[in-house]
Amino acid sequence: MNLQTSITTSAEINTAANQAARELGELLLHTPEYEVFLKALNAVNNDLEVKNISAEIHTHQNTLRWSPTNSSELEAELTRLETELEGIQAVQEYRLAEEATCRLFAEVDSIISQETGVPFATNAKRSGCGCSG
Amino acid sequence: MLTDELQNAARDLGEALRASSSVQAYLKAEAGCEADPEASELEKRLLALHQELLGRQQRGEALQRSEIGAYNVLKDRVHYNPRIQERDAALSEVKQTFTAIADELSFPLGIKFASLAKAGNV
Repeated sequence: MNLQTSITTSAEINTAANQAARELGELLLHTPEYEVFLKALNAVNNDLEVKNISAEIHTHQNTLRWSPTNSSELEAELTRLETELEGIQAVQEYRLAEEATCRLFAEVDSIISQETGVPFATNAKRSGCGCSG
Repeated sequence: MLTDELQNAARDLGEALRASSSVQAYLKAEAGCEADPEASELEKRLLALHQELLGRQQRGEALQRSEIGAYNVLKDRVHYNPRIQERDAALSEVKQTFTAIADELSFPLGIKFASLAKAGNV
C-alpha cells in the first residue's frame, strides 16, 4: 500500500458518509412502515372531508390570531373541528402510520448514534435563525 | 423490528460519521472537557443551580435578584471556559456535518428523517 492510497482524506470520509446515507435512505424508502405511511399521507391529502375541515381550522386560527374578540367561542369551535378531523378514518390511519414510521426511524437513529458516539438526529436539525447551536 | 440489512446500513453510516474529522475533533474535545476538573465541575454546578432555581420558580417562589445574578455569573464562567468553548465549537461543526448527511438521507424519502426520528424518541 502506498502513501496515497493509505491516507483517508476528509473529503473521502464525507463521500463515504454521503453514500452510506443515500443507501440507508433508499432502504428506508422500501420498508413496509414507510410504504404504509406514504399511502396514508396520500389518502389524507386527497380526502375531501379532511381538506374542508382543515380549511375551516385554518380560517378559525387566522381569525383568532387577528381578532381576539369572542375568542372562547372560536376556541371551542376550533377544538370541535380538531376533534372532528381526528375522528376521520383516513386521519386515524395516517396517525398510526406516522407513529410506526417515527418508531422505525428512531430505532435507526439509535444505531447511527451508537456507532458515531454522538446523537445523530438531535444534532442534525437546522436551526431556524441560521446561527450555530 | 429492523431487518439485518437496515441495521447494517445504519451501522455503516455511523462508522463513516465517526471517521469524519468533525466527529473525531468533537470526541477529542469532549474527552478533554470531561478530563478537566474545572470545566466538569463548572458544568455540574451550573446544571444543579439551574435545576434548583427552576424547581423553586415552578413551585411559585420568587427568586432573589442576587440569586439570578449569581446564576448569570456562573453561566458566563461556563461559557468562557476554554475547554467548554472548544467542545461547543467542535459540536457546531458536528451539527453542520450531521445536517448535511441527514439531508442526503432524507432525499430519497422526501421527508425530514431527523424530525421523524426525534418524534419517535419521545
